[in-house]
Amino acid sequence: MPAVETAGLTKRFGDVVALDDLTCSVPEGELFGLLGPNGSGKTTTIEILTGQRTPTAGTASVLGHDPVAEPLAVRRDVGILPEREDPPSFLTPREYLQFVGDVRDVRDVDDRIEEWARKLEFRGILDTLAGDLSEGERQRVMLSQTFVHEPDLVFIDEPLVNLDPMMQEEVKRILEAYCEAGNTLFLSTHFMAVAEELCTRVGIIADGRLVAERDPRTLEEGALLETFVSEVEGAEAPAGQPVEVGNE
Amino acid sequence: MKLFRRMLVEEYRLHSRLFGSTRFLAFPLFVAVVVGAGVSLLRLTGTELSAVVAGLHALVAFFGLQVGTLGLVGRDAMRDVLGDTTLLVFSARTLPVSWRRLLATFLLKDLVYYAAFFLTPLVLGFVPVALIGGFQPAQVALLWLTLVATFALGAASSLALVGLGTRSTGGLLAVVAVFVAVAVARTPDVVTATPYAFYADPSPTTAVTAAVPIAVASVLGPLLFEPATGGSTRRIRTDRYRTLQRLPGVDGLTARPLLEVARSSGSVWKVAFSLGVLFAVTALLLDRIVAATGLAPSAGIAFGALLGLGTFTTYNWATQFDDPREYLRYPAGMAAVFRAKFRAHLVLAVPTGLAYLALAALWYPVGELLVGLLVFPLVAVYVAGLTAYLTGLSPNELLFDTLLFAGFGAGLAVLAVPLLVAALAAGTAPVFANAAAVAIAVVCAVVGVALAHRAGPRWERRLRDVEP
Repeated sequence: MPAVETAGLTKRFGDVVALDDLTCSVPEGELFGLLGPNGSGKTTTIEILTGQRTPTAGTASVLGHDPVAEPLAVRRDVGILPEREDPPSFLTPREYLQFVGDVRDVRDVDDRIEEWARKLEFRGILDTLAGDLSEGERQRVMLSQTFVHEPDLVFIDEPLVNLDPMMQEEVKRILEAYCEAGNTLFLSTHFMAVAEELCTRVGIIADGRLVAERDPRTLEEGALLETFVSEVEGAEAPAGQPVEVGNE
Repeated sequence: MKLFRRMLVEEYRLHSRLFGSTRFLAFPLFVAVVVGAGVSLLRLTGTELSAVVAGLHALVAFFGLQVGTLGLVGRDAMRDVLGDTTLLVFSARTLPVSWRRLLATFLLKDLVYYAAFFLTPLVLGFVPVALIGGFQPAQVALLWLTLVATFALGAASSLALVGLGTRSTGGLLAVVAVFVAVAVARTPDVVTATPYAFYADPSPTTAVTAAVPIAVASVLGPLLFEPATGGSTRRIRTDRYRTLQRLPGVDGLTARPLLEVARSSGSVWKVAFSLGVLFAVTALLLDRIVAATGLAPSAGIAFGALLGLGTFTTYNWATQFDDPREYLRYPAGMAAVFRAKFRAHLVLAVPTGLAYLALAALWYPVGELLVGLLVFPLVAVYVAGLTAYLTGLSPNELLFDTLLFAGFGAGLAVLAVPLLVAALAAGTAPVFANAAAVAIAVVCAVVGVALAHRAGPRWERRLRDVEP
């Protein structure tokens, strides 16, 4: 059973089509990357798949649950890291992660907090108010809340944002190890290097449409960028010009 | 001047984008109609125009004081030095303008906005009744002037107090203690130093006496206010989150807003301040009603009802730091979130309101206040349920959204009008009035619980469908 499966997923906001007939399948254990320019529909896709938004049309299945009908079951089983969200300013990282553990019903949360604080090197700020932390420190706390309940599937919107180069490498290793253990990662990014280096498969999305899928490991250096540019420019071509969708 | 104009435009765009231009621009009309209807009703009950004018000044003073406490929110926003810069007032880090100048301009902009969208329609709503009652146009103009000045005094005073609090808690407590002592002793009469005194007796002396406190507070506010940007890193040694969860009925979702209120600017004192303002306004109104009508209203019902209605501000503080969409990521569901907010509201509001009822015992008979011990928490339950149902986790959006404001006002009136009638009737039929007040409050509390229960599914649905 695929970890994520969608068929004809569409979302309209008034006249704007944010997601247009998205059909894709992500098998268990895959590190799938959704690559697209700003405003292409990446965040909307993740929000629909995690039950945070209702699609206008189409169906989806996440770990066997329908995110429209069973949003709480989906949110229970997955981890979510949104692109722009900080831990609450007036809680410490320890308190915030305890809070997440409480709402997710995690039993040994204090041990897991220590473990993640060690992994992402923020033990020294565990008891500092989050409002006083740097952006990079906040991102490390947010990454921890994504994994603290040990989910089988994680949705991450831009994982490396605000992290220093050393921490970026550390996070990449953690994400790879997570998938090697049989878990699934659905990653959204507009950074080509992140997709090329991490993902086992990349879907290119433009103007709400999935316009291509590639395995970056089988491509020559620079080929993903070339595909991205040509597919995105094709998607943005004037109406009437057909766009070739490459599903390899 | 450019900055001032930009802030005006920014404010208009903020509200018109949130609610739509029509709903935003209909707000002044709505205020005028409601005030006109309310004043006509009061006249039908035989209330003197002078009492109505005094009430309008009290209402506007309360409103101004509440608006000034927004400085607390601004302080927290400024403290978040690496966070988003969303309004011009928070742009001192990027613009070559000092934050004091930004704050002063922001205050001036607020005064112009509230004068245009709230105070002017309020006076226009009063005009027909006033002219029929023998008011001269010059008196109406004077009323407008003193109401705007009263709003300025209220907003500037509370901002100055917030500013003082950012520098010295002891200093703030000392000033508040002096105010309380003066209010208790009634010597000197603080009303003589307000714009209302100028309205009652227009003369150069009263003009100066009224203008000086406004000028002083307006200068002191921005001067004292410390945004605390780039300040110390705050470390928390004790495990307060877990400690709070040991209290009955307090889970993680409830503990979080309690900690947020306690640790943000003004701490739990802002809850006490907001209800304290309402306490003072209620005392003033009781005083004026007795003087104007000779009736002997029940202080217990009046304090219970008005303090309970004032817990709207407590709900506001309890949800101040929420991004409603965050909760869509958790498997608890919005129903659990609203149950928690409801509990946090009561944990914060009920002890504070009961403390004010105890304070009222200094001036009013204890036996008369006992009914307030029942009425207040029940009204607080209703207000929490109504506010949660109508506004979700963003109660601030009530302001200037005509439809929402009308719905909320009507919801409060359903409870407030019969309770205030009961308060007025207590002088002639105390047993019946008290029993009726408790019965009304119980029914409304049941409705409040039902509304709170429905708020979760309603807002979950809305948030999942809303545009980003």
